[in-house]
Amino acid sequence: MIDTFFGLGQLDSSRALFMSLVIGILFGIVLERAGFGSSRRLSGVFYFRDMAVIKVMFTGMITAIIGITLSVRFGLISEPSIYLMPTLYKAQIIGGLLFGIGFVTGGWCPGTAAVGAASGKWDAVVFLGGAIGGSIFFNETYAWIKGVYEAGNPHIAFIYQSIGMPKGWFILFFVLTGILVFWCVELIEKKRNQTHNYLHSDFLKQFSFVLLVAGFSVFMFLGDPSSDAKTTGSPSQSVDTSEQVLLTQIENALDHMDPEDLARRLMAGPQDLVLVDVRSEPEFLKFHIKTARHIPLKDLVQQLEPYRNKGLIVLYSNGMTHPAQARDVLARLGFGNVYLLTDGLDGFIKRCLRPVSLRSEPVPESAAREINQWRQFFLTSASAPAGKAFLAGAAPSGLPLPGIIDSQRLSSLLGIPDLRVIDLRSQPEYNTRHIPGSLALNVESLRGNIKGIPSCLLPAPLLAGHLSLMGIQPRTLVVMVCGDKVQDATLAGMALERLGHANYAVLAGGFLRWKAMGLPTDTLLPQIKITPYPEADNDQFTIDYKTVLSHMQNKTALIIDVRPQAYYTGEKSDEARAGHIPGAVNRPFDLDTVKSADAVEFKPVSELTGAYEKIIPSKATHVIVHCRTGHQASQTFFVLKHLLGYSRILWYDAGWTEWASRMELPVKTGITP
Amino acid sequence: MNSSAKPYMNPYLAGVCLGLVLTGSFLILGTGLGASSGIARIAAAIQAWLLPEHTANTPYFGAWGKYPLDYYLVYMFIGTIIGGLISAVGQKRLSFQLEKGKQCSSWKRISFALIGGLIVGYASRLAQGCTSGQALTGGALLLTGSLVFLICLFASGYAVAYVVRRQWDD
Repeated sequence: MIDTFFGLGQLDSSRALFMSLVIGILFGIVLERAGFGSSRRLSGVFYFRDMAVIKVMFTGMITAIIGITLSVRFGLISEPSIYLMPTLYKAQIIGGLLFGIGFVTGGWCPGTAAVGAASGKWDAVVFLGGAIGGSIFFNETYAWIKGVYEAGNPHIAFIYQSIGMPKGWFILFFVLTGILVFWCVELIEKKRNQTHNYLHSDFLKQFSFVLLVAGFSVFMFLGDPSSDAKTTGSPSQSVDTSEQVLLTQIENALDHMDPEDLARRLMAGPQDLVLVDVRSEPEFLKFHIKTARHIPLKDLVQQLEPYRNKGLIVLYSNGMTHPAQARDVLARLGFGNVYLLTDGLDGFIKRCLRPVSLRSEPVPESAAREINQWRQFFLTSASAPAGKAFLAGAAPSGLPLPGIIDSQRLSSLLGIPDLRVIDLRSQPEYNTRHIPGSLALNVESLRGNIKGIPSCLLPAPLLAGHLSLMGIQPRTLVVMVCGDKVQDATLAGMALERLGHANYAVLAGGFLRWKAMGLPTDTLLPQIKITPYPEADNDQFTIDYKTVLSHMQNKTALIIDVRPQAYYTGEKSDEARAGHIPGAVNRPFDLDTVKSADAVEFKPVSELTGAYEKIIPSKATHVIVHCRTGHQASQTFFVLKHLLGYSRILWYDAGWTEWASRMELPVKTGITP
Repeated sequence: MNSSAKPYMNPYLAGVCLGLVLTGSFLILGTGLGASSGIARIAAAIQAWLLPEHTANTPYFGAWGKYPLDYYLVYMFIGTIIGGLISAVGQKRLSFQLEKGKQCSSWKRISFALIGGLIVGYASRLAQGCTSGQALTGGALLLTGSLVFLICLFASGYAVAYVVRRQWDD
């Protein structure tokens, strides 16, 4: 799977800029070779004199449609790593009509004028000067034209969806139309010019045939679901198996854990086993072994630090190459408890999950029964909220963490040693009645002034100190209990996440629901022993204003402002300046919760899924959430990342407090982004 | 044109090459080709150089920050010029001239090119792309808006062609 610069959010890196230059050079060469360095040839298309523009453009589109479709189809690239331009009918219709007038009047379009200027055409140089002027004119009249520019609802729309045709059929239709158009324009050229053309040439016949075959191939590939299985994970598989022979000879067999052994351990329920998937994120999201946690190789040492020589760490990939290398590194750093999954994920699927009926070797009845149990355990609900199941320490199996826990479940866990219940209500409320064994915590004690910015989440070492004093260890399951402010629970969750502590849950409905259900409460203060908590900073999600600005300028992330609408528009303001970050969309955080008779809690996941699908194009889109101080945004962060499975959520903690006070940063008011 | 200039490439094969470059751009950058954004960024830099304070406060160019040229499409635009130059020299097509019909006066062709450029520069910003970035790239992704843009472009082009035809009269 290729990670594109866009997919990585690194379009502004120097390597991406260099590659853009190289691609530009190739683009320029192709345009020039096609004869597009001549305005006479370009404008010929409008007078039926020279139809090269249509031939080149149509062929280019068909080639790229086939190239991209097959690249996505065969897992070379994932759809989220491609930038899709939004459809905005009004701007695109008016823009298109104007553009056509400019094109035929000037004889150039921007790309071809660049090539024309390079070929010494003065009219191209003048045209480029005009285009620069036109851009400046647009900037100056932006306020006036904004209504058209922003009209409607920007959304990603595919033509085959818009006209209600399956994708494969549309591509076939497009290719056939292309062939028809090519023959027509050849006929037109012949009638107009009576000069050499391709109409009766063998070339056009052969070319049409090749296009036809290519069109049908794409149609077949898109229509055949069985080829799914063939392609999953295949790119790395071949490399891994060839390396595997060598590695199995080198490796001490004791460093391996057999798939059957792993399956039995995971089936047995909670224990000190951290299962780590080191494949790419899209592969992990597609499928992973139940309870596995995804950690990219580069973050492995940092994120596994809490588990060094505690319990078992099992690494897996498709094959064994990467985990073996990673295990060696970890072993050199003093991790004595790291194991590899023998034969990797492929081996696990083959040996544990393949149905008995498909196996060539005879399977004893006892083994068959075990295989069926494994299939039931590992293949059910493995995909439900993809990518967040994580089992460690005391977490009851099947509880996806971080996540939500209900009162019944929590009451059944009360009393186990590796559980800490944190009560985030006010101290008088806590003192009057609380869940037995719970600890009171004022969520504001997790925040402070960082380098002049008030109300920022404290650095990792200070947070680790807090956890130590509350007797929390990396393996502890922490349950957050709030009153009527769910964002208190999620903000405390951010503190845990900064330390890489994924083992936490938010109590659904908070204390009010617990009480309404008549579950036990008391007034005793718990006896707690201080335990050290590692100070490792695992924060990959908090970003500063510079990162926000860069994403804003390059349009590489969707910014969601979760403050109430009146603050977003600028009608109300408690800050240096009113309004919002240009381009940010407004989705107030309190739309994600619902207040029922007895408590405040998250809306059902199905409802939230629908709401955010309208806002965020894909699960892998980079999304920045922010509010005024980071408090409310922590709730949206939790919803997107842990309840809905969006993988690239970033948290601008300093938020509007900082943005508004930095006068050099742009600000926009009003209801539009 | 030089008498020694080589003939143009077969347009269909050129189209295939163009499609391959576009596919390569998607595989490497994750975005398609573009030209008008590069021009607009250069426009923003020029305006910022002439009127720094005013430009920084404009809502459109201002949002691009202090360094509008640090953008991948600016590099792609420069690349396009370099590529055009390499090919024009290689194909012996580099010649300094004003392309126009023999009957058309130079000032008329120049003013047409200037007016066309102004309109195209404006329209590309409005539609968020030009023939490369919107029509070709978005068309290859089968995006509805891009194909709508492409159809409108040709519709108005053919509608207006008659009015500006004299510039090509020989």
